Amino acid sequence: MGKISKSSRKGKKAWRANISSEDIEEYFEKSTKDALSGGSLAHVPSHSLFYVDKSVDLSAKRKIEKKRDKVLHYESVLQRNAFVQPIPSSIQKKPKRKNKVVQTVEGDAQFEGKGPMDIWGDGGRQNSKPKKMQKPSIIPAVEVEPPGCSFNPPSESHQDSLAIAVADEMQKIYRKELGPDPIPLIVPGESIDEETMYFLDADDGTDDDELNEDIVQTEDMDLEKRPLKTKVVTRVELNRRTRRKEQLKEDAKAKQKKQLSKEIDSLPDIMEEIAREDEEKQKKHLRRTVVKQEKLASAPPRLGKYKYDPAPLQVLLSEEITGSLRKLKGCCTLARDRFKSLEKRGLIAPSKRSGRFVKGFFFGVSWKQKNVKCSIGHSRCCFICLQSPSYQRNYAKWLPFQNAI
Amino acid sequence: MPKHYRPAGKKKEGNAALYITRSQAVKYLQISLSLFRKLCILKGVFPREPKRKVKGNHHTYYHMKDIMFLKHEPLLEKFRDMRAYERKVKKAVTKKNRDLAERLLTRKPTYTLDMLILERYPRFIDALRDLDDCLSMVHLFAALPAVEREKIEVNKIHNCRRLSHEWQAYISRTHKLRKTFVSVKGIYYQADVDGQKITWVTPHALQQVLPDDVDYKIMLTFLEFYETLLAFINVHLYLSINVKYPPILDTRLEALAAELYALSRYLDANNRAPAVESESGSASESSTVQHKEKDRNESELRLAQLQQQLPSNEPGALMHLIEDASGVDEEDAETKACKNLFKNMKFFLSREVPRESLLFVIPAFGGTVSWEGEGAPFNETDKSITHQIVDRPSQGHKFLSREYVQPQFVYDCVNARMILPTENYVVGRVPPPHLSPFVDNEAEGYVPQYADTIKRLQAAAKKEVLPMPGVGKEDLDNPQNLLAEGVIDRAEAIEAAEKKRKMFQLEKQYHNELEKELQGTPFSSDLHAKSQKVDEGMDHEDESAPEIEQFARDKGELDKISMSRKKKKLLEAMEIGKKRKDDKIGRLWERRKKIEEAKTAK
Repeated sequence: MGKISKSSRKGKKAWRANISSEDIEEYFEKSTKDALSGGSLAHVPSHSLFYVDKSVDLSAKRKIEKKRDKVLHYESVLQRNAFVQPIPSSIQKKPKRKNKVVQTVEGDAQFEGKGPMDIWGDGGRQNSKPKKMQKPSIIPAVEVEPPGCSFNPPSESHQDSLAIAVADEMQKIYRKELGPDPIPLIVPGESIDEETMYFLDADDGTDDDELNEDIVQTEDMDLEKRPLKTKVVTRVELNRRTRRKEQLKEDAKAKQKKQLSKEIDSLPDIMEEIAREDEEKQKKHLRRTVVKQEKLASAPPRLGKYKYDPAPLQVLLSEEITGSLRKLKGCCTLARDRFKSLEKRGLIAPSKRSGRFVKGFFFGVSWKQKNVKCSIGHSRCCFICLQSPSYQRNYAKWLPFQNAI
Repeated sequence: MPKHYRPAGKKKEGNAALYITRSQAVKYLQISLSLFRKLCILKGVFPREPKRKVKGNHHTYYHMKDIMFLKHEPLLEKFRDMRAYERKVKKAVTKKNRDLAERLLTRKPTYTLDMLILERYPRFIDALRDLDDCLSMVHLFAALPAVEREKIEVNKIHNCRRLSHEWQAYISRTHKLRKTFVSVKGIYYQADVDGQKITWVTPHALQQVLPDDVDYKIMLTFLEFYETLLAFINVHLYLSINVKYPPILDTRLEALAAELYALSRYLDANNRAPAVESESGSASESSTVQHKEKDRNESELRLAQLQQQLPSNEPGALMHLIEDASGVDEEDAETKACKNLFKNMKFFLSREVPRESLLFVIPAFGGTVSWEGEGAPFNETDKSITHQIVDRPSQGHKFLSREYVQPQFVYDCVNARMILPTENYVVGRVPPPHLSPFVDNEAEGYVPQYADTIKRLQAAAKKEVLPMPGVGKEDLDNPQNLLAEGVIDRAEAIEAAEKKRKMFQLEKQYHNELEKELQGTPFSSDLHAKSQKVDEGMDHEDESAPEIEQFARDKGELDKISMSRKKKKLLEAMEIGKKRKDDKIGRLWERRKKIEEAKTAK
């Protein structure tokens, strides 16, 4: 760091040194920049600066594809040539199941050549040893509906079927009513601010402390009060105690003997009781097996996560019976019925999807579309309500049958 | 050491070893879940319920043996090959090797289920026993719309339609149909093939809805198996009646959606050929027929020829068939009855009746049938038509020579096995209730009113054929005569039914008591009983019933006392059950009475 001369600063020299040359330097800088970047843009016409780019550019994906389309040299070398016989890299073992394959191929050819053939006929291949297949269920594949479900049913059996359908529906409703209430989303009452909450906590705490203290004090008191008495056991006392002990022992022995003789006396009673118990057990077992059989006849065993839910009975309402096949408001959901049958016979495990009503669709009509409201307010797709908006009237009509169920 | 502790290398025992959960099975077989499900359905392996569910209640369990059975299935290998092949195609496509991809696609491996069917049903009768579900499913899919979203293809539906028609044609040709029941859900049919009762349900001819809660993938897998099964069954059945199997149908009729009629005609032609020309084989004849029928004009010509061959076409082509067939194979009495039910009857179906069903049912019982539309064997103006089936409030133009009845008439006639009087079924009238033929009224203990009427009509019809005096009860003669005349008065019928029931009850009681007396009467009461019997023999109708009842009751008490406790309990249980049944029947009667009262009040 050189020392700056401390001459007078009032001279001409000093004045010259203080003149700024910034603007000149700036100008030079700008001009050099322009020269480097290819001319200033200020004087260029705008249309040459801004224009719509119409040149087509390949997308990145296409570019890659384009490259991929090209057959690389190594690939062309590896491509199969019809004139070159392929040489296996190693002599492979003959596959073990070759014979079998030939057989099946022949068999298939047989099938295809002559069209469908009779596999059970004399020409067909007979299976020498039939495998015994166990039937998964005792429920028949096609269960015929009760006579009340006819399109033009006799009135008595129709009422019967209707009563069953209503009972089914009412059971659902009752189950819903009797079940626990859902957890409310909003609890009535005012919100408590933090300060009061703090006080609430504090109050509780102090109470507890006081109580504890009380208890401690009382304990202390007890300790103080309790007299320290360690009496000296005299020989007389000791003797008496031993005598008493012996006496008690003898008494117990005698009692036991008596009990035993009593039990021996009541042996027939005991035997009878045992027999009775056995009988009861057997009965219970029988009952259980019967109940199990009945259950299996009406529903499949629990096969998976979800329980089987039977489909509702398809029955016409009294007002819908016209006696005409043309006007029959049939249900067009035989597909569901077949699927339920598969589930019922235990051929497939019930799934969550096959619940009773997944969407608001029933009898081919959307319930939302129909804008039907249920007057009692039970399940959103109650078929009774859907079928007849005036539920109350119908319900009154069915009431007598409820007693019959 | 806890009880359930098992050292690391030790084998499992009991339920833990016998059963395997689904996810374990999938891992064990090294296949995807969907493939596992498909394989299970095709092989007939179904989930089981073990006594102790080792892995918890929320799993689906399979028996280890079943899984081993799947593991050794050649189809599994085939599926694996197919998967590998698909990967090859995919690779070729991504490599832009179009030639290779196309070549691979042309030789895609496929699988057949023939072996599986033979494995699951080694004999034909086994297959017949398991046909209910198969038929219902095929008939259902024949009526479903093709939905791409659910992968229900058009081809599949056409195939189902073809198979179902082939089955129906066979049944109706051989008159094997026994019962029909039109319910809300659909139409139930029951046929009797080789002594096996086969029940199936077909949907109504309405727009079918595809419910959301059904897994169509599962249904389609079942259908795949069932299609193959039904095809084989049809082959067997067709060959058994000497008809070439893949039936070649008249294209014109097929286009008009009258495949069933086309099929029945095919059967007709194919079956008659050997009878007419002795040998030369039905095959060549039928093939020439097919060639001819390709052309529309020629087909009409052929029809005319056929009609000429038959004498004046009046009883219909099917009648002749029957005559031919009856010579070949003797049939049981029921088939004969079914065959002759609609003999000499000619039906014409109006536009609005369910055509498919009636075209199946009427020929199955020996009737001739035609319908409104192109390709029909005869049209509405035909003079020989005896019944026209109409389902409208009123019929404008009427031919006097024929009866206008509702479709229910056909079904009820079929179930009752007799031609019912048509008054109840005429146009514009509410027909009598359609009863289910699947209910055994005797076992149920309650006979609906109309069933009773039908029964008496049947009895009357039989009596007309074989008049036997002095057999019928004098009380019942009256209503029978009335009914034979065709006059069915409701009130009278009810009265008669009531009378008949009472008579039956009295008789039954009397017989029961007689039996009881005969079985084991103590010496002391023997004399008394004898005197009673003599009394009853003289005039049992005047004998006061209560006395007998009292006697019976006393006897019952005596028996009860002498019985062992076990037997007594059993008896009591039986009595309770009987009482319950009686109560039920009583309730039904009460209801009927109420309804009737309401009716009369109106």
